[in-house]
Amino acid sequence: MRVQLKKSDPAGVRRALAAAAAGLLAGGPVRAQSPQSDPPSTTVDSALLVYHEVNRVQAIEPEVNVSHKIDDDRTFSFGLAAGSLTGATPFGAVPSTLPQTYVRPYKVIPLGTPVTVTSASGGSTVVLIPPATGAKTRTLGASWVVPPGTYPLEHGFYDRRLAGNLGWEQALTQWLKLDGGVAYSKEHDYRSESAHVGLARDFNGHNTTLSAGVNYESDLSFPIGGTPTPLTEMSAQWKGPNTSLHETDAVLGLTQVMNRRWLSTLSYSFSELHGYQTDPYKVISVVDPVTGQPTQQLYENRPDSRRKQSIFFDNKIHVATDVIAASLRGYEDDWGVKSVTADLRYRWQPDPDYYVEPHLRYYRQGAANFFHNYLVSGAALPEYASADSRLAEFHAQTYGVKVGMPFDETYEVYMRVEYYDQHGNGSPAGAIGQLQQQNLFPDLKAYTLLLGFTYAF
Amino acid sequence: MNNCESCSANPPAESKARGWVRRAGPALGALAVAAVAASSAGCATLGAKPWDHDLLAEHAMQVDPYPLETRVDAHIYFSKEASSGGRSFAGGGCGCN
Amino acid sequence: MSLRAHSAAERRDAVTSFTAMASPCSVLVDTEDHDLGLEAGRIVQAEALRIEAKFSRYRPSVVTHLNRHAGQPAEVDSETADLLDYAAACHALSDGLFDITAGALRRVWRFDGSAEVPTEGQVREALDYVGWHRVTWDRPMLTLAAGMEIDLGGIGKEYAVDRGLALAQARMSAPVLVNLGGDLHVSGPRRDGSPWRVAIEDVNCTGEAAGLLELARGALATSGDAHRHVLKAGVRYGHILNPSTGWPIEGAPRSVTVHADTCSEAGLLAKVALLRGAGCEEFLKSERVRAWCVR
Repeated sequence: MRVQLKKSDPAGVRRALAAAAAGLLAGGPVRAQSPQSDPPSTTVDSALLVYHEVNRVQAIEPEVNVSHKIDDDRTFSFGLAAGSLTGATPFGAVPSTLPQTYVRPYKVIPLGTPVTVTSASGGSTVVLIPPATGAKTRTLGASWVVPPGTYPLEHGFYDRRLAGNLGWEQALTQWLKLDGGVAYSKEHDYRSESAHVGLARDFNGHNTTLSAGVNYESDLSFPIGGTPTPLTEMSAQWKGPNTSLHETDAVLGLTQVMNRRWLSTLSYSFSELHGYQTDPYKVISVVDPVTGQPTQQLYENRPDSRRKQSIFFDNKIHVATDVIAASLRGYEDDWGVKSVTADLRYRWQPDPDYYVEPHLRYYRQGAANFFHNYLVSGAALPEYASADSRLAEFHAQTYGVKVGMPFDETYEVYMRVEYYDQHGNGSPAGAIGQLQQQNLFPDLKAYTLLLGFTYAF
Repeated sequence: MNNCESCSANPPAESKARGWVRRAGPALGALAVAAVAASSAGCATLGAKPWDHDLLAEHAMQVDPYPLETRVDAHIYFSKEASSGGRSFAGGGCGCN
Repeated sequence: MSLRAHSAAERRDAVTSFTAMASPCSVLVDTEDHDLGLEAGRIVQAEALRIEAKFSRYRPSVVTHLNRHAGQPAEVDSETADLLDYAAACHALSDGLFDITAGALRRVWRFDGSAEVPTEGQVREALDYVGWHRVTWDRPMLTLAAGMEIDLGGIGKEYAVDRGLALAQARMSAPVLVNLGGDLHVSGPRRDGSPWRVAIEDVNCTGEAAGLLELARGALATSGDAHRHVLKAGVRYGHILNPSTGWPIEGAPRSVTVHADTCSEAGLLAKVALLRGAGCEEFLKSERVRAWCVR
C-alpha cells in the first residue's frame, strides 16, 4: 500500500491514516477461517508402555485418549487402554535352604473327565485333588518346587486387562468449570467401575483456581481358584466366593500462578476403602522358631477398611527456554503406611522443535503395621498379617530420560526410558536361623520404555 | 492527575459545532481512562497480568501436560508401592495392589 | 476502563456482556426486538473471540506460527495481509514510532511495577531484533529476520471493534454500540436521535467513580500506561518504548483518548500521539484530532 506523506500538510497524517484504516476495513463482512488459523479441536493421545522387571514380570500396554472440543465451553473425551502382563512374581513366601513345594488351585473339571495334562503354566505340575463325596466336579491343582536359596516366585503369572473411560468438561460460567467421567476396567480376575465429578472455580483473573472433586469406585474380585479363607493353609482346594470393594475419594486443590514463570499446585486427598483388600494369591510363611525353616504357608489377611490421606505440592517453573517440574507428596494411611515422594524433571528445550527431559524420582515408605516378613510357629496368630513386600519398608529411585519432538502444536512424538530400583531391608535384625543368610526383600529392578504420539487436528 | 493544559480540554474549535462528543459531568480529563489495563487483573499481588500469561500458556507449563503418561505412571507405582493418589482419582482401579 | 450505559434507556437496550482480549466487553443494541439485539451481540462476541484466537501471542495462532518461523518466508492469508499492510502504513505515517516488531523489547523490559531497568547493553542487544525495516513484506509473503517477533496487539482490539460493528450492522439496522475494553464504536445516534451516554469507571484499585461521555457517532480509543511501568530511583519509566532507541518515550501523558470515524483510526492516532512523548498534544493539535490527554 502506498502512502503519501506530506509533512507540511495540516492533518496530513490523520487523513492518510483514515485512508489506511478504510482500506483495512474494506475486507467485507465475512472472513473465511483460514485452515492455518483454526485452532485444533480434537486431540488424539496415544502411548505404548513396555515394562520389564528383571527376572520377574513383563507387560505391554497400549493406550489411547481422544479429546474433542465441541465448542469453547464443552469438551468430550474417551480413552481405551489394554494391557498384557506375564512372568513370575513373589507371593509372600520366604526363601529357604531346603527345597520348598507350593500348590495352588488350577482348574475345575467335571468328574470322570480323563486328565491328560500333566503340567500347568510356568513349569508347575498338575496335581489331582481327591473330589469331595457326592461332588460332580474335581479340582486340579498346580504345584511347583522352588530350589534352595532362590527367592520363591509364582510362575505362570498372567493377566490381561482392558479399560475404558469417558469424560466431560464444561464451563458453567467464565469462572466455573464442571468435569466428570466414568471408567471401567476388566481383568480376568478383577473388575472395576468408577465415576467422578469435580468443580473448579477461578479467581484473580484466572491466577487462582480452587478445585474439588469426588470419585466413587466399586470393584469385584473373582480370583482364579476362588477367595481363600484368611490365615488358613495354602492348598489346591477351590476356595470361596467373589468379594467386593468400595472406595470413595475426595480431592481439594489450589492452583496458583505465583508469577509469570511459576505455577504452583497444592492438593489434599482423602480416601476411604471398605471391603476385600487382601491379595488372594499371597501367603505368609510360618517358620520354626529355632531353625527358621518354613513349616506352613498361610494365606494373608488385610483389614477390610482403609483410610488414606495425602498432600501433594507441585510446581512448574519456566527458566530461560526450559521448564522445571518439581513435586513433593506426603502420604499416610491407617494401615500404618507413611511415605514421601519427591519428583524432579528438567525439560531442556533450546529449540521449539525438540526437548530432552531427564527425570529423577525418590520414594520412601514405611511398613504397614501388620506387615511381617514371616510369622513364628507357636506364637499366637495375629488378626492381620501380610508378607507382601509392597507393604514393607523400602525406598525406590527412578532414573529416566524423555526425548520429544513437538511439531508446530499439531503433533508430538516422544520416547521415554526409565529405570526403577526398589531397595528394602533383606536382612532384618532378629532374623531366625536360616533366615539370617537369606535376602528377605525381593529386590525389584524394572526398565520401562514409553513411546508416545499426540496428534491434534 | 492534572488536566493537560496544552492539550485541548475541550474539542478543537472547529468541531465544537458538530457536538459529536460532549463531556457531561466531572471533567473527563481528570479520570484515568486506562483502557489498556485489564479490569480482570484486580488488586492481587500474587499472579501475573493477563498480558504476562505467555509462558504459562506453553504446553509444558500446564498442571498435567501429558495425562496419558501420568496415568501410566500412576498405574505402575500403584501396583508396586503402597501409596496412591496425589493428583486426581479419575480412572478405575485394578486388582494389582 | 469499564463502561456501562447509564441512561434511562439502559433497561430497554439489548445488552450482551462477555470477556475478550482480557477485557470486559459489551454490545448495546437500541431495539424493541430483544432477541435480534442479543443475536447481534453474539455475532460481535464471536468475531472478537475469532480475532483474539487468530492473532493470539500465546495460543497456537497465525502470529505464533509466524514468530516460530522467523528467518523463513511465510505465507499469510488475506486478512492477516490486510493487517500487515495497515501496520506498514502506520509505521511509515508515524516516522517509524509505531512498529509491530517492537515486542521483542519485552525480553528486557519487564513492566510489572518492579525496579528492574535493563542495562544499555541489554537494550542494544534486544534492538537487534526490532525494526520493521528488517522485515520483508511482499504480500502475501512475510519474512521476519531470525529472532524477531510480531505482535498485532496494538491494532487487533480496535480492528475487532470495527469488524464487530460492521457484522452487527450487516445483521440488523438498529443503533448499536460495541465496546471492547474501553475501545468503542457506535453505529450512529440512538433511535430517538440522542447520543449514547457511557459512564467511565476508573479501574485503579482506588475504585474511583465516574464521568459521563456522550457519543453520537464515530469511535473512541484510549492508549495509556496506568498499570504498566517500572519505578526505579523515583523515576517512572512508562511502558511505551521507542522502537529505535529501545527506551521508554519521555514526557508522554499517562493516557490519551481519541475520537475518530473508526476505532482503528482512533486507536492508531492515540498510540502515535503517545509515542510522540512530550510532543503529544502538539501532534494532536496539528492533526486536528479530537482528543483528551491525562498527565
